[in-house]
Amino acid sequence: MSCHVVHERATAAPRVLTLRPRPLRIALVGQPNVGKSVVFGRLTGRYVTVSNYPGTTVAVTKGRAPVGAEVCDIIDTPGVNALDGTLSEDERITRDVVAGTECDLVIQIADARNLRRALMLTSQIATFAKPMVLALNMVDEAFARGIVVDAAALEAELGVPVIEMVAVEGRGLSELRDALARAGRPHVPVHPHASDRAVWAHQLTERVRHASSLSLAYVQEALARLTRRPETGLPILAAVLYSLYLFVGVFGAQTLVKLLEDGVFGKGINPAAIWIANRFVPFAFVRDFFVGEYGLITMGVTYAIAIVLPVVATFFLMFGFLEDSGYIPRLAIFCDRMFRIMGLNGKAVLPMVLGLGCDTMATMTTRILGTPKERLIAIMLLALGIPCSAQLATILGILGGVSFAALATLFGVVVAQMFFVGWLAARVLKGDRSEFILELPPIRWPRVGNLLTKTRLRVWWYLGEAVPLFLAGTMLLFVLDRAGLLGYLSAIGRPIVTSLLGLPESTAQIFVMGFLRRDYGAAGLFQLAHNGQLTGVQAVVALTVMTLFVPCVANFMMMVRERGLKTGLTILAVITPVAILTGAGLNGVLHALGIKF
Amino acid sequence: MHLASSSDGKPRGQHRDPGRGFLRPLSSLGAGTSGEIADVLPDSNGRTDRLLALGVTPGAAITVLQTFPGVVFLCDQTELAVERGVADAILVRVGETRR
Repeated sequence: MSCHVVHERATAAPRVLTLRPRPLRIALVGQPNVGKSVVFGRLTGRYVTVSNYPGTTVAVTKGRAPVGAEVCDIIDTPGVNALDGTLSEDERITRDVVAGTECDLVIQIADARNLRRALMLTSQIATFAKPMVLALNMVDEAFARGIVVDAAALEAELGVPVIEMVAVEGRGLSELRDALARAGRPHVPVHPHASDRAVWAHQLTERVRHASSLSLAYVQEALARLTRRPETGLPILAAVLYSLYLFVGVFGAQTLVKLLEDGVFGKGINPAAIWIANRFVPFAFVRDFFVGEYGLITMGVTYAIAIVLPVVATFFLMFGFLEDSGYIPRLAIFCDRMFRIMGLNGKAVLPMVLGLGCDTMATMTTRILGTPKERLIAIMLLALGIPCSAQLATILGILGGVSFAALATLFGVVVAQMFFVGWLAARVLKGDRSEFILELPPIRWPRVGNLLTKTRLRVWWYLGEAVPLFLAGTMLLFVLDRAGLLGYLSAIGRPIVTSLLGLPESTAQIFVMGFLRRDYGAAGLFQLAHNGQLTGVQAVVALTVMTLFVPCVANFMMMVRERGLKTGLTILAVITPVAILTGAGLNGVLHALGIKF
Repeated sequence: MHLASSSDGKPRGQHRDPGRGFLRPLSSLGAGTSGEIADVLPDSNGRTDRLLALGVTPGAAITVLQTFPGVVFLCDQTELAVERGVADAILVRVGETRR
């Protein structure tokens, strides 16, 4: 009987151009980390960030794709393990897409290795009564691990087209496009209970999947083992952090910055700009606006391009490598117990590590966490203690030149403060911690193409995001300076900045800049240190306060968007005094002990 | 008589499975142990739902990979890391042991 139904559907579907009032809307749905974003990119030609860990996509992306004679709207959704029952926030986003009217057809992307889980999801998608196609992705990886799925048999049983794919290589895409016309509702028995669906998926898998215990993926499996066991995993972690320091902190923040700041800008662009201004611009005011102390070119552009860009670019490259290798989720195993002190579980390592790239993006990634309480704590700790890539590098750049003890003091204080605030929040806030359950992606060798595309887009994104704000910040400083308000501002800040924190007066304006963008503020400190205006102790105190201090405007906006204005302001109200008091305490202790670094 | 017929005498954490030997919680198994998932004990926070969605369902093949700092196991083709409390709730019908 099932064969009859399948046959009817397969021939009844017309393969001609259908006139529609609007484009056909197709949602890509599937488990996390099965390659939905890769398929999206291949279909639409638009790149969305692709990585090797669950939770890379936490929002919906739309794009257009030609399919036959038609143009369709493709919707990329966050990965889901289930569409009913207990859902995290990103899973709910996907459920709403599948359930709503904004999707006419579903392409389920599945990891060919994990057919059983994919079919459990298929049976849930079936309850939304939308036509669908099942795409088995990564059949090459499955094959390497001795797993073969009989796609024809599966197609006959399900009554929907089943396509085998290797999306990263573009294999199976034209078959997928052709199959859309044959999309149908899957022939799935309606099960009210999840456990019955599991039984159905299990039995169907047994019928169509052939697994041998022979695996060819020795190297990946050995690496997977080495990175997750504590006796080898912790030394590997230390080595990874040290390489990060060498590549970003030394090569990016010192070698490249020196080359750009002293060389390209110091000897080339800035003298040329000043020469042009002196020669062709008769008004001192306008000259200063471009090339003065707070000049757009001499300060704004120099900061953005010469100090921060090299660091951000090297960081994103290394970070992309780690993301694509599947290494980052393995850290969660080591972090779980520590994170429990802060009311979180090991899964929170993903947004935390991501925060080292950009706290604003990471704030969005907290959607993968299980409970609202965990999200709130993670968002607050991101704002409080996690330095973003640019900031991290200026820290490395300044303190790397002071001493290792200075660096250790800063990170020690910041981490201790995060634990303390997290511990407090875990006790004060209402709600639960969720249990630690995390899927570990396979270790993969990153694809150079994806790595370069991702890094290039992130650097462009950084330039688009940061440069205008750097320029706006510089203009603001220029105006404040001209209106005499900068001195006024410094005077207000003086009691805090000079007596409490023991810093030079000019640091007050750097903290103002720091609110526009943390990295802008950090770049200001970098220059101050560069000119020898900061002692070792002052550098440590200033950077500690800057790290703990309020997040940048973009981060604050994201907190408001994700958790509401009230929560955003509350977080701000907690963080500001914590930052200043910690700096004051640190300053006091360092002076009392007579530590000079 | 009463004592002998009751199940009170069984070791803690083990559940009698008539005819097929003992069920043991995942947390009590050493690395390298293989078996089949027999049951997942529910809690009030949707633990069963989440595990079910990840493929941890009765009948699935399971191999313990590591027990410290967290419990890491392979369930069918999915590698999962869980905390001890979760491993306590997963009951395994132990098969052959291999390293």
